[in-house]
Amino acid sequence: MTTIQKLNSTKLPIIAFDKSLEQFRDKDLFPKKMEKAKEILKKAGLPNFKK
Amino acid sequence: MNRPKYLYKSEEEFKVYSFYSEGIKGLIKKMIVFSFTGESNIYNLGFGDYNAETKTIDDEIITNNGDSLKVLATVASTVYAFTEKYPDALVFATGSNNLRTRLYRMGITNNLEEIKVDFEVFGLRVDNNVWEEFISGEDYDAFIVKRKKI
Repeated sequence: MTTIQKLNSTKLPIIAFDKSLEQFRDKDLFPKKMEKAKEILKKAGLPNFKK
Repeated sequence: MNRPKYLYKSEEEFKVYSFYSEGIKGLIKKMIVFSFTGESNIYNLGFGDYNAETKTIDDEIITNNGDSLKVLATVASTVYAFTEKYPDALVFATGSNNLRTRLYRMGITNNLEEIKVDFEVFGLRVDNNVWEEFISGEDYDAFIVKRKKI
C-alpha cells in the first residue's frame, strides 16, 4: 500500500515534518478572521459541550 | 475522514500545515494554521493559498482548482492531527466570506456522520446567534469542534 493509499484509508494522519513552517507559527496571519472569531466568541460564548 | 486527501507537512508543534492542491489550474500551495485566540483552549482555523512572494496566506481567494472535496478532506485531516496533539482544544472555524463559510458547511455536512464519531460539532445559527449541535441543511455563520474523549 502506498503512503497516499494509507492516508486515504485512515482517519489518523500521516505527517511529514517541515521546519520551514515554524516561521508561520504564533503569527497573526489571518487578522480579519481572528477579529471575527473573537467578536463571535464574545457575543455568543461557547456551546454546551457534553463531555 | 476516509476520503482522498493530499499528503501534508507540519512543523513540530502541529499548528501549521502545508500541502499542494493539484488541479486544473496546476499546483497551488495551501496552508492551514491553528492560531490561539486568547480565549482558553480555543484555536482559530485559518486556511488559504500561500503567496511565496509576499509570504502571506490569502484566505479570501476562490481558487477553483477542481478539487475542493479533496482539499476539504485534507483540512479535516489536519483537524484530526491538531486534536491528537491538543485533545482539549476547541477548533473554531468561520469563512472569510459567505462563500467560504458555505464551503466549510458543505465539508462538514458531507462527512457529518463520520465526524460525529470523533468530534462534537456545533454551528452558530445566523438568525439568532446561538450555538447548536450541527444540523445538516441549516445556515451557520461559524463552527466549533471538540474532540470527544475516548
